[in-house]
Amino acid sequence: MLNSRRLFLILMLLSWSALLFGAGWIARGQLAPRVVPQVMTLPTDYRLLDEVWSRVQESFIGQVPSDTVRNYGAIRGMLATLNDRWTIFVEPQPRAIQRDHLRGQFGGIGVDIRIDEAGRILLTPRRNSPAERAGIQAGDILIGVDGTAITEGMSFEDVAARVRGEVGTLVRITVRRGEQTLEFSITRALIEIPSVEWRVIEGNQAGEATLGYISIRQFTERTGAEARQAIAELREAGSQGYLIDLRDNSGGLLNAAVETASQFLSGGNVLIERKRSPSGEITVTHAVISGGLAQLQPLVVLVNANTASAAEIVAGALQDYNRAPLIGEKTFGKGSVQLVFDFSDGSSAHITAAKWLTPKGRAIDGVGLTPDIEAPRLPHEAQPSVDSQLERAVKALRARLHTNLAP
Amino acid sequence: MHTHERTSISSILKTALLGLLGLTVGVLIFVAGLGLGVAISGGFEQNGTSIVEPLAPPAADTEQNRPSGVDTALMNDVLRRLRSQWYGDMPSSDKLTDGALRGMVASLGDPFTAYIEPRYAKILEEDASGTFEGIGATLRQISGGGVQIVRTFEGAPAQKGGVLPGDMIEAVNGTPVNGLSTYEVAALVRGPKGTTVTLTLRRADIPKPFDITVVRDRINIPLVTGKMVGNGQIAYVSLFDFSAQASAQLTNQLRELLKQNPKGLILDLRDNPGGLLSQALEVGDLFLKDGVFIIQRDSKGNEERKSTTNRGIAQDIPMVVLVNGASASAAEVLAGAIQDYERAKVIGEQTFGKGSVQLPQTLSNGGQLRITIQRWYTPKNRAIHEVGIKPDYAVPMSVEDEAKGRDPQLDAAVDYLLLGKEPAPTPFPTVSPRP
Repeated sequence: MLNSRRLFLILMLLSWSALLFGAGWIARGQLAPRVVPQVMTLPTDYRLLDEVWSRVQESFIGQVPSDTVRNYGAIRGMLATLNDRWTIFVEPQPRAIQRDHLRGQFGGIGVDIRIDEAGRILLTPRRNSPAERAGIQAGDILIGVDGTAITEGMSFEDVAARVRGEVGTLVRITVRRGEQTLEFSITRALIEIPSVEWRVIEGNQAGEATLGYISIRQFTERTGAEARQAIAELREAGSQGYLIDLRDNSGGLLNAAVETASQFLSGGNVLIERKRSPSGEITVTHAVISGGLAQLQPLVVLVNANTASAAEIVAGALQDYNRAPLIGEKTFGKGSVQLVFDFSDGSSAHITAAKWLTPKGRAIDGVGLTPDIEAPRLPHEAQPSVDSQLERAVKALRARLHTNLAP
Repeated sequence: MHTHERTSISSILKTALLGLLGLTVGVLIFVAGLGLGVAISGGFEQNGTSIVEPLAPPAADTEQNRPSGVDTALMNDVLRRLRSQWYGDMPSSDKLTDGALRGMVASLGDPFTAYIEPRYAKILEEDASGTFEGIGATLRQISGGGVQIVRTFEGAPAQKGGVLPGDMIEAVNGTPVNGLSTYEVAALVRGPKGTTVTLTLRRADIPKPFDITVVRDRINIPLVTGKMVGNGQIAYVSLFDFSAQASAQLTNQLRELLKQNPKGLILDLRDNPGGLLSQALEVGDLFLKDGVFIIQRDSKGNEERKSTTNRGIAQDIPMVVLVNGASASAAEVLAGAIQDYERAKVIGEQTFGKGSVQLPQTLSNGGQLRITIQRWYTPKNRAIHEVGIKPDYAVPMSVEDEAKGRDPQLDAAVDYLLLGKEPAPTPFPTVSPRP
């Protein structure tokens, strides 16, 4: 009897501990804003905002936008005074879509949404997706989600944010197909957005080596793992060298860039960050993570004018260490890091919090990386079958393979 | 029973002691949780990665909700993050406030509703005395940002210096105009006669922005000009704007020309930026019989109509009105009424589309707020605002025409009045004004 009581007490204590620990954990967040000294409260200025707000409300002739729209406008205006194109305010819906992309997955029904010139929302179900299984057909025009009318002129974000939701929840989709109006109840499933694609490039002639082609579209939470998987599978298939395609890669998560670059480097830094602190400028280095899967194999990197940010971090590090030549065009030149702060209403602020330098200290902002081998995209390459930059890169990789094997 | 009670008491004591111990341990664990939480999140502000997921929800409940609808909690949250993380110097709180007001006003989607910073508001007030010293150009706000030169006056400093209609203004005397309203840019451009102003301009066919420096002057342009055209058979009058003397001077000019018994009359409202509505009404009265001239509506649905009388001196003579993309405001009201009553054919280009009234109000910080409080409609209830007046016959005028001194619009008007010849249909330009 005493034993069971003691057991009860211990259990009580344990659960209390857990609860208190949790409370402490949460409290640290609550504390945070109060600890930051001198929180900005500008009573006078807010009074001025009140003044303008009420005057507009009173006499403006057009449709007065909602409070939310006006508040977002004001915040956008505040951020515009910084004169930094990368410090921006992002509204809840676009932010939700962006978050999905950076996670590389979301809860959805597996349809591609396209807006035609007339502003109609056209659906195309992906193969084996919940949407396809439910009976959605390519060309169906979306007119309602969960009873809310979808009207012409709505943005992609607006529509996508409504269709997406938590995995396992139901969404009611209303479409027009010809003369018919059809309604589907579809359970949302996990939809994956891979960030890396890879394939083997076989040698054309006898004796030519097999190469591994790795295309990275964006740096998301899954990119590091996918890059490792790509290298492992390509190695298994006999690849003797790798070609990383970073063309049209606009960047993404800094950590994903560090993880990816680390696959190909055996030491040193991937990048150096410069930040501001109350005591002045500080430097943060991001070291190569050990255990890279392709530290020595011959490597080339394809870049173009749309290779930006996180993609330039990878390309810059590989170029600094002479690990791989860059082939293609001068890159975009975005040498800053943004922190994203999410607010309770789902909106967020992207704030430029650092500039970054390549491991050897090159600043690329507004400059870009100059390729070691210039290979402009030719104007006649409208058809997707021709890719002279890729051909140039394959040639360069074979040459490196040759010099590598020669001695 | 007795024993049982005793055990009970000692057990209560024991429980109490244990509870106290538990509480102490609990507090310790709470602190540990707090500490670990702080440690893991890297201090009270996170750092390091390019994407940081949310900290705690903002303390929205601690900041009072303002009855106006201004979300100070969200704004403070943004400012707090900026303060701690922004890689740059924080602007002054006045500048941030100016930005917030601009952004809020921009969210209304009306290019004529504008916030004017205190320093520019001051210049505008000084300027309201009526001295018209500047460079002789009119400006307009481009939706999506930017201020553009709409028109340069013949022989005025801007035109002599090489400024062209269509040029976008990037900076005035080195001050970037990015985000400023036309009112504010105008304040920067204007100044006393004899002083210089440097405009940094962007032009479609020139890859990089370039500077033009001009000397400000008193802009002296005749309000009304008149002549006989078409072999002396057609009376031509042009009106520069609808300022206070417009109607009186036009009446005199018209009287002179009508003495020559013209077969037709051309009223040139091209490049006329508008002015006083009362003047537009009086000018309209010269040509129109009695009837509604304009309908004005405000935000509360109040409606006001202004009407012409039947005393005009040119009510019946065949007539053409010339307009272009820089015909705005009162000029559009007049052209619209004349078109509605089929008093004349309107020839030229689609007009600007500014049929609204702004009420300037001074704010407590000395800044100015101009709110669109009224919209204008033609007698047949056609909206002017954001629509403009579509000419009956579209006749474009190219930059080349202008450079060579040709005036196809005037030619078309003369041909129409003398020969009854309808101008050939041309593809209608969707963008006004002239490139």
